[in-house]
Amino acid sequence: MWACVAFVLLWIRSAGCTEKANMSKRIEYTAADFYERLLSGKMMFLYFEQQVSPTISLFLVELEKSAEALQDYGVLVGKVSCQKEPIQTYCAEAKQQHTAFLFRGGREFTSFSLDTVFDVNSIVAEVLFAILGDEVKYVHTDADLLAMEKAAKGKKDIVLSYVRSLGTEEHRALMETAYVYGSKYQFILITGGPVLKQLRVNESPQLSRVWFLHCRVHSTSLTPVTPVTSERCPLTQMRKALSTLNLHTFLQLLEAPLVSDVYVDPSSVPPPQSPYQLTPQVFLFSHPATVHLDLDTATTLAWRLRGLAMLLLVHRQSPAVKTPEKYNAAYRLPEKSSEVKYLTLHSLDDVLELFTKQEEEEEEEDHVDEEEDSHLGELDDEVAAAVHKNRGHFQDMDSVTQLTSDNFHAEVAQSSLTVALFYLKWDAVSMHFLSSFIEVAERLEDSQVDDVHMCVVDCGEWTDLCAAQPGSAVPFRPIAAFPSVLLIRPQQSAQHYRGMLTGEALHCFIMMSRMASPVPLSTEEEVTSFLQEAPHPDLATYRPDRILGLIRTASQPGLSVFTEAAKSLRGEVLTGLLTDGLVEKWAAEYAADPPAVLLFPSWRNPTVRPSLLLVDSSSKELLARIYSALLPPVVCGYLSVLPLQDLFLYNRLAFKGQKTVFVGTALQKQT
Amino acid sequence: MEPNLLCFILSTLFGFALTSFNQHLHNGTRHYNYCVLGAGPAGLQMGFFLSKANRDYIILERNSGPGSFFNKYPRHRKLISINKIHTGRWNREFNLRHDWNSLLSDNPDLLFRKVSGEFYPPADAFPLYLSTFVRELGLKVQYGVDVGRVRSVQSAAGRSYVLTDQHAADYSCSVLLVATGLWVPQEVEFAGSDLVEGYESISTNPDDYKGQAVLILGKGNSAFETTQSILGRASRVHMLSSSPVRLAWQTHYVGDLRAVNNELLDTYQLKSLDGLVEAHLEDIVIAKQEERGRRRSGGKKGETRAKLYLGLQKFRQAGDERNASDVSPEELPGHHIDNFPLRRPYDRVIRCLGFRFNFSIFDSSARPPHSHNAKGRLPGVTAWYEGKNTPGLFLLGTASHSRDYRGSAGGFVHGFRYTARAVHRLLEHRYHGNPWPSTRLMTTQLTSWILKRVGEASGPYQMFEVLGDVILLQGSHCEYIEEFLLQALPRFASLSGHEVSSHGLIVVVMQYGKKKIDYLGRGRAETDWTKAWKSNFLHPVLYYYDSLPTEQDMKMRPHGWPLPRPKAIHHMVEDFLTEWDGPLSHIQPLRRFLEHCIQTDLRAFSAETCFRSALTHRRSPLSCQQGYLNQRGVQRYGQLTRGVYEAGLVPAEQVSAGTSTGASPAFPNYLAPAGASVSSGLKLDL
Repeated sequence: MWACVAFVLLWIRSAGCTEKANMSKRIEYTAADFYERLLSGKMMFLYFEQQVSPTISLFLVELEKSAEALQDYGVLVGKVSCQKEPIQTYCAEAKQQHTAFLFRGGREFTSFSLDTVFDVNSIVAEVLFAILGDEVKYVHTDADLLAMEKAAKGKKDIVLSYVRSLGTEEHRALMETAYVYGSKYQFILITGGPVLKQLRVNESPQLSRVWFLHCRVHSTSLTPVTPVTSERCPLTQMRKALSTLNLHTFLQLLEAPLVSDVYVDPSSVPPPQSPYQLTPQVFLFSHPATVHLDLDTATTLAWRLRGLAMLLLVHRQSPAVKTPEKYNAAYRLPEKSSEVKYLTLHSLDDVLELFTKQEEEEEEEDHVDEEEDSHLGELDDEVAAAVHKNRGHFQDMDSVTQLTSDNFHAEVAQSSLTVALFYLKWDAVSMHFLSSFIEVAERLEDSQVDDVHMCVVDCGEWTDLCAAQPGSAVPFRPIAAFPSVLLIRPQQSAQHYRGMLTGEALHCFIMMSRMASPVPLSTEEEVTSFLQEAPHPDLATYRPDRILGLIRTASQPGLSVFTEAAKSLRGEVLTGLLTDGLVEKWAAEYAADPPAVLLFPSWRNPTVRPSLLLVDSSSKELLARIYSALLPPVVCGYLSVLPLQDLFLYNRLAFKGQKTVFVGTALQKQT
Repeated sequence: MEPNLLCFILSTLFGFALTSFNQHLHNGTRHYNYCVLGAGPAGLQMGFFLSKANRDYIILERNSGPGSFFNKYPRHRKLISINKIHTGRWNREFNLRHDWNSLLSDNPDLLFRKVSGEFYPPADAFPLYLSTFVRELGLKVQYGVDVGRVRSVQSAAGRSYVLTDQHAADYSCSVLLVATGLWVPQEVEFAGSDLVEGYESISTNPDDYKGQAVLILGKGNSAFETTQSILGRASRVHMLSSSPVRLAWQTHYVGDLRAVNNELLDTYQLKSLDGLVEAHLEDIVIAKQEERGRRRSGGKKGETRAKLYLGLQKFRQAGDERNASDVSPEELPGHHIDNFPLRRPYDRVIRCLGFRFNFSIFDSSARPPHSHNAKGRLPGVTAWYEGKNTPGLFLLGTASHSRDYRGSAGGFVHGFRYTARAVHRLLEHRYHGNPWPSTRLMTTQLTSWILKRVGEASGPYQMFEVLGDVILLQGSHCEYIEEFLLQALPRFASLSGHEVSSHGLIVVVMQYGKKKIDYLGRGRAETDWTKAWKSNFLHPVLYYYDSLPTEQDMKMRPHGWPLPRPKAIHHMVEDFLTEWDGPLSHIQPLRRFLEHCIQTDLRAFSAETCFRSALTHRRSPLSCQQGYLNQRGVQRYGQLTRGVYEAGLVPAEQVSAGTSTGASPAFPNYLAPAGASVSSGLKLDL
């Protein structure tokens, strides 16, 4: 086991190490490389490594990641090790340790403090920002913005954005978009404050936002919404969160025609194609008589829905349009089944509400999720949560008998073996196990096992039965742990079931318990059958541990010790007791000196010689030795081969106590 | 170990000394370890515990049967203690919450319902029940012994009490349990108090009050009971006492006016000639005057009845040595205040002021002091009901009510049956070395066990804020001690014989909210568990202390609190059905509180989760240690909610281990995601 785990872990570790080495080699450059590329005028973002501290090594990891990202923008990312390649200009001063440099056109273009370029997002954002230079402008006041708008009017549309803080993913998304669309739109970054106020954003905390200013086309010709006198460009706000993909989709959407004409029924209009696939479609209907009016309405609405949805005008004169006259609008949402929904509108605001509301709802939903995440209204106990989730389903208790203080004695006297589950309704483990218990009862019923009486006791109700004081008539001590399963036989003290709380384990235990313990064996046939046959057809796949007692006469002192131990083992282990004649034969065969015990653990091939134990003075000691002898050596592969429950059922003790810690620490030490 | 052994030896010697004396007659003196004075409900209750423990005891009773008080009282023969038979539950402990008359015993059938099925049973049923109790349990009661003198004797064997009966026979007792109840009518001295009839002797025939104006002194249940019976005959009934009427359903105190008796409130407020008045009884004067006007006109009858006038001390002319009945009209308040409410004369004045403890039989060497509360009517006792200054003399039953006067139910059968049990447990420890019974629990079972107790326990429910369960935390196990006397908590170790470990203790108490609210108004119930501390109705409260509070702490506790300020407190939100078993509202908050107190994860985990944690953590959660790793794992059940385990806790034991469960071929795939999440963020060094 040790060796096996160690090997696996070492293998992973070494694999990890080589991979890491490769990575760091990929971005490492020599002085010669550096000078060569510098002369070629390529853009380079370089770090000169002098000493490696934990912060620096974290930075290097990020640097590696950004190499790939910046490759797409033609920027070479790398590091030069000063120890190996002492480049005088950049390796001399200590403060250069905290600086990364951008080279462009054969010279140092700019430098960044490591405080500003700390992760892949900030590296990409800052480097692109530096490269884009004038293409992305900073605007601090509304007056500046107005000037920009005037300058752009009729030429370029403006993408105005506010980023909550620099070096974030949002900043990076904006810079990446600016790099792509920089020539098409004027990108402006605002720093918050007065400009935000002008844009009527007064929420706090302020989120990163993007607006699209329609400056290129003359506004008056487009929309009746914007006052004609306005000097400002009409603007559309991006409603989705700022990310590269969303921003890209948004810009694409604004490029799309404002209103498209269709001559087929909305249901046969295909859902929008990429890049608009996430955009809802809104259909308005046009009559030949009012076609101009309808177009105006559509345009007005389209303006208000810009960036939110695409507007399609369906011309009713086409015979393909099947929509009933009572509807004047329809829409199709992305994702959620591409079905078209029809409705009758009374005002344009209704449509707008439809989409804005939905958004809010989604936001609200998110909000609810967050609350649940804070674990206020949710059960954090997996068993309790599962039981709680299932609370609507009432247990069908027909297959079990409910024991009460009144009927207890009568019920127990009825059958040779009563299996009683003591439970509390509010104890999740109890309720969880109750359903398994009922399943076992049903299973026993189905397989016609009628000598086992399955009972349950609700200890929340029959408190005096469960807490019956010692000395009273019940054959058990007060129950103080729930759930508890007791095996009760008339005129005997009850036996506690101490196995796994699963139906499978309990069923197995009950079936095994039906066998006498020990089984008296008087002939060789009986012994063979005891050692080789399954105790019950239901247990055919299960291989129990077996032990045989070799005790000469009924008067030998070991007998009571052995029978006592056999009683405790009932249900877990099959025990047999050889009678007089056979004892000598078996003792001779295995060189045993009775009283002795032969063990046939389930994990060992039955043909192999059994292990031998001498009978101790006390059954307690004997039990302990039997348990440890039945323990299998832990074999590598168990973990993957056996399903968990079986693992724990078959190798009862393998993980008990320190063994578990042992396995656990074996793993811990190797990592 | 040493003190325990010493204690054992001492108690054995003591017991030996006692038994050797026992049953021997020295100069006509009988010796008993335990003498119980009075065969009322409290005396018999104690008798049961003593008999169960096979102690040498005797119950002495001056009358010929048990519970003789109830042969006479209540005068109108209806008990107002609830005898609720139909609770819809089989739980016998729970049912005792709604059975105010039964005594505790091991016989589940020996309940009051055996003698009466009525909700408010007839008073005659109670002595009948008590004699059944004596008979079925074979309690040793000696009737006809009227103890007239109790004195304490100091001897080499220790202090003992000697009781002398009417035949001058002596009973010597090592421990004296006084359960004589309250039966001496409480009286107040004022001018003309001899003109007043007492509750104990009034006629209970309503016809005797036909057309009469009646003034009743007192506003308790006996006063209202009397009022109720004559309401249909009397011309007007006025009730007078110093304090305004207190309604039991508002004060939660069963000794205050019960709704079953409050018809007069109706007739008063529905303008029907009856009424309530407040005045100090010491200040009043009752004066008898012949009604002169009537005498002439009513000459036919030949017999006239004198009228009783209510006066006030301040209008009496000073230095007057006349008979109280001779009051001149000028001395009546009506002469001075023309709208004096009680200016009209009465035909009868009845005193219904309750009863007081009979201190007179106690010699000064054995007399407990008067209580500070209850107008000194009750004996003062310690938190464990031992008379102050009288070691070995305990007070039981109604007489012990000074501890929770006007608070809990210690003066009533359904309360003092539990305090008697507590006293008995204390005796068992003090004199016989048996520690208080306790239940040893695995800490993982603690939540369930507390829920069981708050869901059914009748002792802390009836004796709210007086009795509470004490949980001694001991790491993976704990000791659960039921129904300890909260006020005696500083002496817990010496009284109970259990030691408090460094893990501290939790006390489970039932209590009402402290805010005075409109008890029938809107918003009276708190349903949000996050605001459980605002609960108004009876609800469980858990106090966590890291060490036992001291006497000083107890003295300095916030006003109205049953216990000193704890290290942590948890209110379980009040529940309309008094069933505190909601998974979200009750169980989870409770579990989190316990986790906070014992700094351990108490959640239950499935076998899979336990397995994962066993591989990735040095120490598994407690439920895995006591369950799964003990081969008692729980099967994963359908779709157990994922991510629950990731919710946190046990971070202290997080060890960077098993970091590669996802990648290692040695692990089955289904372990990978979960394993990774348990140890997420630990992959840095690969």
